[in-house]
Amino acid sequence: MINALTERKGVKVGLITTEGFRDSLEIARGNRPDFFNLHYEKPRPFVPRYLRRELPGRVTYKGQELRSLDLSGLPAILDDFRAEGVEAVAICFLHSYANPGHEQAALEAVRRLWPEVSVVSSHQITREWREYERASTTVLSAYVQPTAERYLSRLAAGLADQGFRHSPYIMQSNCGVDTLDSVSRIPITMVESGPASGFWGAAELGKLIGEPNVLALDIGGTTAKCSLIENGEVKIKTDYWIERDRTSSGYPIMVPVVDLVEIGNGGGSIAWVDDYGKLHVGPRSAGAVPGPAAYGRGGTRATTTDANLWLGRINRDYFCGGEVIADMQAAEAALGEVAGQLGVGVDEAARGIIRIANNNMVNALKLVSLNRGHDPRDFTLVVFGGGGAMHGMALAAELGVRKVVVPAGASVFSAWGMMMSDLRRDYFLTRLADLRPGSAAGIEALFAETEAQAVAQFEAEGVQPSRVKFFRYGKFRYQNQEHTTEVLIAEGPITDARLSEIETAFHTTYEREYTYRLAAPVEMVGIHLVASAEVGKLTMQQREGSGAAAETALKGHRDVDYALEGVHRAAIYDGERLEPGMHFVGPAIIEDPGTTVVIHPGQRVSIDGYGNTHIELNGGDGQ
Amino acid sequence: MSYSASDPITLEIIQNSLQAAADEMFAVMKKTAMSSIIYEVLDMGTGITDAKGALASSGAGIPAFVGMLDKAVKVIVAKFDKPGDIEPGDVFVTNDPYYGGVTHLSDIVVAMPVFVGDRIIAWTANIAHNSDVGGMAPGSLSGNATEIFQEGLRLPAIKMISRGEPIRSVMDIIKVNSRMPDVLEGDVWAAIASVRIGGRRLVELAEKYGTDTFETAMTSFLDFGEVVTRRALANLPKGTFELTEEQDDGQFFNVKVTISDEAFVVDLRDNPDQARNPVNTSRDGVMVAAQLIVKSLTDPYSAANEGSFRPIRLLTRPGSVFEAMEPAPIGFYYEVLLRVYDLIWRCLAPHMPDRLAAGHFASVCGTFIGGVHPDTGRQYTIIEPQIGGWGGKPGRDGNSAIFCGFHGETYNCPAEINEARNGLYVDRMELNLEPGGEGRYRGGRGIVMDYRLRADNGFLTMGYTRSKFPAWALDGGREGSPNYVRYLGKDGTDQRYSFVSGLTTHTDDVIRVVTGNGGGIGDPRERDRTLVAEDIKNGLITPERAREVYGYEA
Repeated sequence: MINALTERKGVKVGLITTEGFRDSLEIARGNRPDFFNLHYEKPRPFVPRYLRRELPGRVTYKGQELRSLDLSGLPAILDDFRAEGVEAVAICFLHSYANPGHEQAALEAVRRLWPEVSVVSSHQITREWREYERASTTVLSAYVQPTAERYLSRLAAGLADQGFRHSPYIMQSNCGVDTLDSVSRIPITMVESGPASGFWGAAELGKLIGEPNVLALDIGGTTAKCSLIENGEVKIKTDYWIERDRTSSGYPIMVPVVDLVEIGNGGGSIAWVDDYGKLHVGPRSAGAVPGPAAYGRGGTRATTTDANLWLGRINRDYFCGGEVIADMQAAEAALGEVAGQLGVGVDEAARGIIRIANNNMVNALKLVSLNRGHDPRDFTLVVFGGGGAMHGMALAAELGVRKVVVPAGASVFSAWGMMMSDLRRDYFLTRLADLRPGSAAGIEALFAETEAQAVAQFEAEGVQPSRVKFFRYGKFRYQNQEHTTEVLIAEGPITDARLSEIETAFHTTYEREYTYRLAAPVEMVGIHLVASAEVGKLTMQQREGSGAAAETALKGHRDVDYALEGVHRAAIYDGERLEPGMHFVGPAIIEDPGTTVVIHPGQRVSIDGYGNTHIELNGGDGQ
Repeated sequence: MSYSASDPITLEIIQNSLQAAADEMFAVMKKTAMSSIIYEVLDMGTGITDAKGALASSGAGIPAFVGMLDKAVKVIVAKFDKPGDIEPGDVFVTNDPYYGGVTHLSDIVVAMPVFVGDRIIAWTANIAHNSDVGGMAPGSLSGNATEIFQEGLRLPAIKMISRGEPIRSVMDIIKVNSRMPDVLEGDVWAAIASVRIGGRRLVELAEKYGTDTFETAMTSFLDFGEVVTRRALANLPKGTFELTEEQDDGQFFNVKVTISDEAFVVDLRDNPDQARNPVNTSRDGVMVAAQLIVKSLTDPYSAANEGSFRPIRLLTRPGSVFEAMEPAPIGFYYEVLLRVYDLIWRCLAPHMPDRLAAGHFASVCGTFIGGVHPDTGRQYTIIEPQIGGWGGKPGRDGNSAIFCGFHGETYNCPAEINEARNGLYVDRMELNLEPGGEGRYRGGRGIVMDYRLRADNGFLTMGYTRSKFPAWALDGGREGSPNYVRYLGKDGTDQRYSFVSGLTTHTDDVIRVVTGNGGGIGDPRERDRTLVAEDIKNGLITPERAREVYGYEA
C-alpha cells in the first residue's frame, strides 16, 4: 500500500471541493523546510488542477449550514472526469468534520450518477479540522482504493478457496486489526501497519514480562524506527506524513498511526565522508542488492553491517545465520576507502561508523522520549528487527536505560505482534468546548454517541457489545493555544463535578511535558476514543529450563571491538541452545540465525521463561 | 569512559547533539505558544551560542531568525559584565533593535546562560513574534509611527528571571503593556520553557563529555562553518557587481557586492537617509539579509553558524535607512530586510544563473486583522505573512504559493481554523490567475484569498512591497505580478492598498489578499509547447493570452 503511494502506482483521481478551495491541495501550507535552499521543489499535488472541481455550499465551523449545497453542476463534473479517465473520486468540503451532511449528499449523488466509480469523502476517514490535510488524506485514500480493494478481495477469495472459513483481519497503522470489509472501504488506514505491529508486540511483551514502560526500537536493513509505550499503551496520533523530511514538506495523511520516529539508519546504511572530511551514515542504503560489501555481490560501499563484521560483533563465519560467506576482502576494501578519506586506520573507521550510526539512533530515541517529556531512564528498551540487538545495548548505555529486552525471534517480532493485536478502532473528532460548568453534558454526549456508533459497527461484525472496551481521551489546551495535549479520562460518565479532576489531569500532564503550568482557562478541542475487542490472541506459555548452566550453550570465544570500551575477549553463545533460567555476564555475543546480540563488558544477561533475553546494565557507556 | 577532545567522532556527536537541542527547543516553543503567529506561522527561532555569543546552532523556523539570537546574547554579555551580574538560573530578555533585538519590538528574545559549576559554557536563546506588545496600534505595528516609542514596550536587554525566580515587577510590566496580556504571558513562558530545556540538554552534554571537550566541539564547529563558506566562495564568480533599483515609494536603493576568495563585501553606504515612517532597519537586520544570501549561495545544506558568516563584510552608513539611529521607528523592518535581500539577489542573478532564479514575490505581505469575535465576544488578532509565487529557473518553473525568502518552515492558517478562531469567513483561497511571470520557464503563482468580516469596528493594517514593481524577470522572461490588498466594502467601495494602517472594517466587507506571481526566465516563445498546453488545460492561462505571449496555436 505504501509502495503504491511512493511509487505513484495508484489511479487517476478527481477531487471535488467547496467553491473557492479547489487549489487548497496545491497551495498546501506554503512551508519551505529546506529554507536556505533557493532550489526547493514543492511536492506536486496528486491531482492536477483540471481534475480539481468545486461545488457551491457552505457549513460553518459549528456545523450550521450557511449556504445549501448546490449539486446542479455535479453531472457535468462527472462527465469531465469520465472523459479524462478518472477512476476514483475524492470529496472534501469545508467543515465537514463538524457536519458531514453536504459530503454525504454529494457522495450519494456521485454513487447514483456513476455507480461504477470508486468514491470516498473526507468525513468517512477523519473528523478532524484542517482542510488541506483532510483533502490530502482523502485524495491519497482514493488514489490507492481501487488497487487495494482488488488486492483484498483476491486475498479473501484465495483464503476461501483454501478452506479458510473465518473472515480475516487486516493489520492497521493504529496497532489494531480491522475487518476486511472495513479496510476495503478505507485502505489508507493500513499505511504504517508493518511498524505498528512491531510496536504493539513490544507493548504486549512488556505487559507479559512486567515492563509496562517500553522504548521500542526496530532496526531493519534501511531504517530504524522507534516508539514509546507508557503504561502498556502505545500512543496513536493523526499527524502523519509520507515523503516528509528536512528537504520536503511531504504529504499529510490524517489517519490514526502509531506515534513513531523513523530515520534512515539500518544494517545496509552506507557510510560516507563528505567534502569536509566528516563521516556520515545513511540515509542511503545498499539495499538487498548489492547489499553490504561483505555480501560479495558487488557492493563497494561500506555499510553498518560491514563495520559490525569487521569489529567482530557479527561472526564472519556465521554471517546471516551461516547462509552467506562473508567477503571480508570486499568489506576491508570498502571500509578502507572510508578510512582513507578520514585519514585513519580501518579499525578506527569501523568504530567511527558504529558510533555515528548509534548517535543517529540515540537522537531518534530522544525524539520519542525526551522531546515528549519522558525520561528514557524510566523505560525498558525492547529491541527487534535484524539489527536491534546489535546496537541496543550501546544505545541503552548512552541513554541511561537500565534494562534491554531482546524478544525471542527478534528478527520476525512484528509477525508476533500482529498475532497479539485486538480489533481496534480509533475515533478522532474535533469539537470545541470550554471546560467550565455546563459543558460536561455535551462532552459526555459526544463520547456516548461515538461509543454507540462503535458498538453498532462492532455488532454488525458479530462482536458482542459486552466485549468492546473503551478508552476515552480528551484533547485539551490552554485557551488561545493551538496544539493540544491528550489526557486519558478515567472511567465513568463525565459530569460537571468531574471537570476539575479532568482539568487537574491536564495541568499535570502539561507541566511534565513543558516544565510549567498556567492559570489560563482550559478548553477541549476534540476527543479521541479507542474502541477495542479481543479477537483470539495467542496465549504465551512459560517454559521451564533444564537447569543446565549457560556454558552448555557456549560456542567459543573471539575478540570483539566495543569501540570506546576497547577490544575484549567475548564469550560466544548459541542462541538456539540458551534455555530459560540461564544467565551470564558480558562481554559476550549471542548468535541466532536471525540476529546477533552484542553484550558489552559487565552487562548481565538472563533468559526468561518465554525465551526472551534480558540484559541489565550497570552504567557504563556505549559510544 | 573518557572522551578525547581531539577525537573527531566525539566532536561530531556533540555537534549533532547541539543541533538536536536547538530542534527540541523549537518543538517546545511551537507546542506551548499561544499566538497563532508562533505556533502556526512558526514566526520564531531558537539558538545556541558559545559563552561569548557566537552562534553555534539554530532551530528551524525562519531563516531570517537564524542570525539574530547571537546579536542579542552579545549585547547582554557586554551589558552585564561585572562579576555576579549573571548567575545560574538567570534569564534575560530584549526586544529592542537598539539593544541587540535586531528586528522590531514585537519580537521578544529570551536568553539564558548555561552554567556548569560557576562557568558559563553556552547560552540558549529564543526569538518569537508576539501578538501585542503595546504601542499606538493593536498588534503593535502601525505605518503611522514616527518614533520607536509608539511601537510598543521597550525591553532593553534586562534580567527577567533571577536565580530561577521570576522578577515579579518585570513580569508585571511586560504583561500590563499588552492588549492581550494572557497571550503575551503564555508566549513568554513558552519561550522560557524552551531555553530552560535547551540549557538542561547542554549541561548533560558538558557533564558527559567534559566541559573542555564540549567547548572544543563548539569552537571546531564554528571553524568548520567558516571552512564551508570559504570553500564555496572560491567557486563563485569574482568581481564587483552593482545595482540601482527603484522602490515602490520612489526611492532608489543602491548595492555594490564585491566577491573575492577572502570575502563577500556588501556595500550599502550609498542609500537614502532613515525614514520618518517605520520602514527602517537596524544594521543587524541588514547583516541578516546578507547572511541569508551568502548561506544560500555557498552551502544551503550544512548547518549555519557564526563561522559560516565570518567572510561577510558589511558596509552601512549610520543614519541611513539601513542603519537607523534611535529613535527611528522600525516596525516594518522586515520589508526593508527583504528589499536588501532581493537587491543583492537581483544584483548577482545575471552572473550566476545556475544558483539564482528569477525574482519572487519578495514581500512578507504582513497582514494584521483584528476585531471582536461575534461568537465568543473575545478580541482576536490575525498577524500573518502571506504565500506567493517564486521565479522560474533554468529547467524548471517556479513554485506556487510558498512563503518568501525571509520565511521558511512557516505554515499558513487553515481556513477551518481561521473561521473558528477569528470573526470572519474565508470565502476563497485560490491561485492567482493574473497575467505575469511568463517565460521559457514561468514563475509560480501567488494567491487570492478573501476574508469576509463578521463584525463591525475591526481594523486592518498591512504593508506590502513589490506592489508597484513586481517580481523581476531574467533573460527575456516576463516580470511577475504585484502584491496588494483590495478592500471591497459592502457599500460598494473598491480600494487597492499596498500600505494601510488601522483601517476600520465593517460586517460583510471583504479584504482580498492578492500576492504576486514570480518572474519568468527566458523567452516565452521558447517554452515547451506541451507545457503551454498543460497550463491552458489547468486553467492557469487563457488560450488568448497563450497565443499573445507564447505564440501558441492550439
